[in-house]
Amino acid sequence: MKKYWSIFQITLINSLAYPGELVGRSLMIIPFMWIFYQLWKVTFSAAGADAGAISGLTLRDTLWYLMLAETIELGRPPIARTMSENVKDGSIAYILNKPYDFLLYQFSTAMGETIFRAMLNAVFGGLTVWWLVGMPNHPEGFLIALPAILGAWVLHFCINAMIGLSAFVVEDVSAFTWIYQKLAFIFGGMLIPLDFYPQWLQTLAKFLPFSSAIYGPSRLFVTPTAEFFINVMSLQLAWIFALTILLTVVYRRGLTQLTVNGG
Amino acid sequence: MADNMKELKFLIAIWTTNLQSAMEYRAAFLTQVIGMMANNFIYFAIWIIFFDRFKDVRGWGVNDMYVTFGVLASAFGLVSLLFGNAFTLSDIIAKGRLDYYLSLPRPVLLHTIASRTIASGMGDFIYGFISYGLSGYFTWDGLARYVLATLLAATVFASFLILTQSLAFWFGMMTNFSSLALNAMLTFGIYPITLFDSYAKLILFTLIPAALMGAVPAEFIRAFSWESLGQLLLGAIGFLTLAIFIFNRGLRRYESGSAIQIEV
Repeated sequence: MKKYWSIFQITLINSLAYPGELVGRSLMIIPFMWIFYQLWKVTFSAAGADAGAISGLTLRDTLWYLMLAETIELGRPPIARTMSENVKDGSIAYILNKPYDFLLYQFSTAMGETIFRAMLNAVFGGLTVWWLVGMPNHPEGFLIALPAILGAWVLHFCINAMIGLSAFVVEDVSAFTWIYQKLAFIFGGMLIPLDFYPQWLQTLAKFLPFSSAIYGPSRLFVTPTAEFFINVMSLQLAWIFALTILLTVVYRRGLTQLTVNGG
Repeated sequence: MADNMKELKFLIAIWTTNLQSAMEYRAAFLTQVIGMMANNFIYFAIWIIFFDRFKDVRGWGVNDMYVTFGVLASAFGLVSLLFGNAFTLSDIIAKGRLDYYLSLPRPVLLHTIASRTIASGMGDFIYGFISYGLSGYFTWDGLARYVLATLLAATVFASFLILTQSLAFWFGMMTNFSSLALNAMLTFGIYPITLFDSYAKLILFTLIPAALMGAVPAEFIRAFSWESLGQLLLGAIGFLTLAIFIFNRGLRRYESGSAIQIEV
């Protein structure tokens, strides 16, 4: 595992090589949070809940929920696209014959790229939301949600790596990544908390892996109870276990389909 | 007049070549087109869920969203299809890749931005019409207004891209700023304009002219008014003139990297 830790550290340090790029990319969360504030302020007001709650969430909870959801989403690197590029330009040949496991290598680099990117998104997004609606009701919720945030990135990695592996067969995976992202938007509750959905859709969405990757950690942040923590973590671990096995199987099958271009 | 016809023929020749080139990989082309349409359908479902629960946002309902999202998608798709390099103009400038276009006897800006087709744009373009068809506002004269509004919104959008990306002549690589500007334009364009106060609206008509890509064209499509048509025409002509002016001013500062490049 030492070599994967080293790969993680190298990527982490590399991600700091262009601080301007890192900061510039993270600024995107500011207009997003501002527009969410406008939308939800009007919506809460129209629902007669200016100071009250809709489905258990106040305006302040909703904004902090959305901040963490955006941080998770904007923080994750485009693994599927990177893997697809590796297949298209032939560099996959040089990655596959190195003395490390391909998937663990990709995971280490993905996590290395994620940490600072997510931290800066959380800082800019957090400052914007703080300015707009005040501090979160449960600041300690961030620490309680931290394991679920890490689990969310593992889940995102498993799904994105599977999409990336499909490049072994179809080469260009952009259409799959768009659709995955939008499914995560809907079933993960990225733009609207799942609590505001109709009951049947809530039940369906809360069972799917997308909610473990976005809704679970974000809701845990604003409602950090022991019971909810156990619910979120147990469902998330079950999905991580299932998707890791699936990813390993897909990878082994994918290797037999791979055609290397040039190199 | 003869010059304009010559440039139009040239543009049509480029677009035909681009389309043939994209169609060469038919499966990839179709995947991108269908994938983008599915992507838009799924994204729009979020707004259906939102309006199902909250009904309207200061008088703005789901039907208005269908029209706004539709015209924005069609305008975005049209620019992607016909002027795909407008999205990466800052990279082309900063990496010295304008050399190729400067060495040919054609208008540099037009030739550069028209030299690439983004296949997924076809999906956006078609999806926009479907979205309008589903809005409940469909009429035949409305469809004619939809086409005109799409052309004008696409002009504003392409001009905005040229403007922001031409800043690379002065500031060099600015991929982050470009994508920030693009995302801001699309995000603010999709959301109901009734959300914003008068200061924010002023920004959405000037600095980030998202209102001229979403809300105003949608208003014009729903019902003809000289006011919305005037805003669209003024916006399209004004931003296009400004974009061409800024690009040409920047071009004077352009320094070739003398790199050997092959444009394919």
